[in-house]
Amino acid sequence: MAIDLKAVEQLAADQTSLKAAAGLAKPSRWSGVGASHDAALVWGECAGSGANPYRVMADLRDMGNKCTCPSRKFPCKHVLALFWLHAEAIVPFPAAETPAWVSEWLGRRRSGGTSPKPAVAVEKDVQAARLAEPEPVEDAAAVARRQAATAKRAEDTERAILDALDALEQWVSDQLRLGLAGFVDEVTIRCRRIGARLVDGKAAALAGHVDELPGRLLALPTGDRVRGATVELARLVLLARAFRADPRDPEVRRAVASAESREMLLGDTTNVPRITAAWEVLAEQVRTRRDGLVSQTTWLLNLSETGPRFAMLLDFFPASVGRRGSAFTPGEQFRGEFVFYPARMPLRAVLVQREAARADGPLLDWPVPATPLDEALTTPLLAEPWATERPLLLPSGRIGFDRSGASWWLPGDGAIMLPIAGEAAGLIAGVELTRTAALWSGNRLAMLAAYTPWGRVGHG
Amino acid sequence: MAEAILDALGQVLTRWTMGGSAAPAAPAEWRDKLGDDASEAELRLLALSGQFLGALAVIEPAGDVRIRPDIAALPRPPLPDTLRPRARRLLEQLREPTQRRHLLDFLDARGWTLHPSDWMPGPDEEVPEVYAAWQDWAVAETSGPAREALTTESWDGLRPAARLAAFTALRRRDPMQAGALLAEKISGETADIRVRLLEGLAIGLSDADRPLLEGLATDRAPRVKALATSLLARLGHDASGSEDTAELAGFFPVQTKGLLRRTRSIAPVVLKTPAQSNRRTALMEAVSFGAFAQALELPPADLVAAWPWGGDRLADHALAAMAARSGSDAIVDAVAEALTNGASVDPYSLAPLLPRLTSVQRRQTAVQVLRAKDGTFVQALAIAGGDGGIAEAMQTGAGGTLVSALKAEDVKPTDQSAELLALGLLASRPAAEQALEQLAAAGLIVSDPRLDMLRLNAALEHRSEFEGATT
Repeated sequence: MAIDLKAVEQLAADQTSLKAAAGLAKPSRWSGVGASHDAALVWGECAGSGANPYRVMADLRDMGNKCTCPSRKFPCKHVLALFWLHAEAIVPFPAAETPAWVSEWLGRRRSGGTSPKPAVAVEKDVQAARLAEPEPVEDAAAVARRQAATAKRAEDTERAILDALDALEQWVSDQLRLGLAGFVDEVTIRCRRIGARLVDGKAAALAGHVDELPGRLLALPTGDRVRGATVELARLVLLARAFRADPRDPEVRRAVASAESREMLLGDTTNVPRITAAWEVLAEQVRTRRDGLVSQTTWLLNLSETGPRFAMLLDFFPASVGRRGSAFTPGEQFRGEFVFYPARMPLRAVLVQREAARADGPLLDWPVPATPLDEALTTPLLAEPWATERPLLLPSGRIGFDRSGASWWLPGDGAIMLPIAGEAAGLIAGVELTRTAALWSGNRLAMLAAYTPWGRVGHG
Repeated sequence: MAEAILDALGQVLTRWTMGGSAAPAAPAEWRDKLGDDASEAELRLLALSGQFLGALAVIEPAGDVRIRPDIAALPRPPLPDTLRPRARRLLEQLREPTQRRHLLDFLDARGWTLHPSDWMPGPDEEVPEVYAAWQDWAVAETSGPAREALTTESWDGLRPAARLAAFTALRRRDPMQAGALLAEKISGETADIRVRLLEGLAIGLSDADRPLLEGLATDRAPRVKALATSLLARLGHDASGSEDTAELAGFFPVQTKGLLRRTRSIAPVVLKTPAQSNRRTALMEAVSFGAFAQALELPPADLVAAWPWGGDRLADHALAAMAARSGSDAIVDAVAEALTNGASVDPYSLAPLLPRLTSVQRRQTAVQVLRAKDGTFVQALAIAGGDGGIAEAMQTGAGGTLVSALKAEDVKPTDQSAELLALGLLASRPAAEQALEQLAAAGLIVSDPRLDMLRLNAALEHRSEFEGATT
């Protein structure tokens, strides 16, 4: 079954889509490309503007298609690019076992009529889309003007943020004066107010952090909330002061204002660690936030000797986009290149490119945790004091239960017992955990995945 | 030093909880870092305290922390890793308890179990015996060994699910000993357990069990009483009131036809009012099979032969239910035979008999359903459950109908998914392979999720053949 470029042209909603697809129909943007043995289905993963790659799939029998990107256009540019790759054989589509994420999409499809034709005949031309647009030529004066405007905007933003941080510190002082008991009782209302002020002051990332504070606080047992409030408010003060001390520090700026875009990150070749290694996908978390955004976080473990032990991919998209497919399968191992956002202990990253997941051959073992446990628990949180959680690798241990039924992680040897957030039920409560990857909040452990004599166990 | 700071922070937090300044109560080690300005000092103290409590201090458990014992390996191995993703997808689809049970039974019949990371049974879930150790683990603090011989001494040492499984196994091996053990131990159990144990006693029921049953027929718990009474009736000792039986007999007069052969047949009285109908139904639920036959002056087997099967579905169903409750094994077989003899099958009336049929009988009945006009795999599944052993599945009418339906012009991607699932649960391994070939020829692609169960079936080796297990 083959399709030709004419079909791609007809499928596209407009010329813009075609142009965007042309830009994406390059081998470097794609990995894990394959086709079913009967050539009816094709699929692949495309590097988009987010940290996580998008999963793209299509049924060549009726041109049905799906992509996990948040675009509202149908078909999106990634789907068009996939068809383009196939039509012009730009990359090979090796026959392979259909991945679970494609089967699941097939199972959910409604009958026929999946691609609505555009109501108006739109002028579309594949050949025109292929031509790269010439760069607009700027004269020196225009460049200077543009740069000055950018600098002025940056200065204004910084001032706005500093003012907002002053208001934040005042607000924190007020909470201490009024009493933390009252703060805990009214945490949602009070945080909403200061959150709005932070948004006005262009401190968007910090506003998001404050928005989620009530959720984090109320997840703690009642008796622990005053301590929890102290920790949360202290973090705000630490971050505000770190920003005042050095507003240009990228890590602090990212936590207060906004993160660098993917282009900026990839464009910076000096400051930014690039690591190629073998990785295992630990887990993926999708959380709906109060501000209407959904965050998609993928946690990965570095199986090699060099580079940060963990990578975290983080994307946001509007809740209105609806249910999205995940980008990875927990437990899959692959070789890939990551670029890390600059930080004292780098963690957040974007995926540059990857090889297809290894289908055969033994899985690589998880590394032995090198640092002693108490150091592993404290050092990352001291390096990034405003972090709400950091991943860590635990040595051999087991789950235990206290008198009230709450679960704890107990080391095989050693004294530190760690309380677990939520319930630990099922297999993990009745087996030795040879190795565990978890998120530590400074206070509680949230398990991501573990290796046991029964094999790998995912959590959540 | 850390201890001292922690102690001091107790005071600090107390002051902040009420509201007000806590700098005066700051830990001695930090005092000179706070500076002179009052509100600045509070914020600095907050930063230090928060970081100390948030990054450097861990809660300790109050009292002991106890680990649970290891989850035991079951008598049968878990599915091979390659098949687990497919099994997980099926578990996702089969959320309804009966459907899930079919899958568990299917795997059990082939000699496999699910991996504990993919699924574990809830404590009260009805699951194949092989999972007994996991059910007990989920409930208890400690679980005994997975397999242990059941004796008077070991009875109390075993957890409920393990004990029930051991009792059923013992009853199959040595019915007399099991009966004696039950007589000794049953009064010490709760009503729910008594019912389950009594259901186990139904296996290999004989007159030797009569004294025990007569004792239980006066049990406090209604379900135990009813079950004991019906088990006694199966043995031919029943206590139906003679007025009720006479009244019921009145609804079903027996006629004799033919001069030479003198065949008996029953011609039910036509019901005129709802009250009559209700009364008849109530009587059929109360009276035992033996008593009913006696009132009609027919041997029980002749009652089955004389009954006008297919004429009145309600009556058929009621008689089948009566046979299931209080008929002997031979009567149950005869009724099942009568219900599947005709050109079409009556699954509704078969339903009450199913618990009393052996798995071989259920399979045979299922095949007859598949051969009958309009028989479907879904109907057959309701009868035989996750049998996984029907070799002729695709050669039946139901098989042909399914393939034709999938070849139709206007077929949609989600059509026939229930039929395909049922077929996957019923077919033997070779039959599943055959089905996949035929369905591919009918246009279904290999990765169609509707084929998940058939593909699991075709890939799953029949381990039980090595165990020499009989079902």
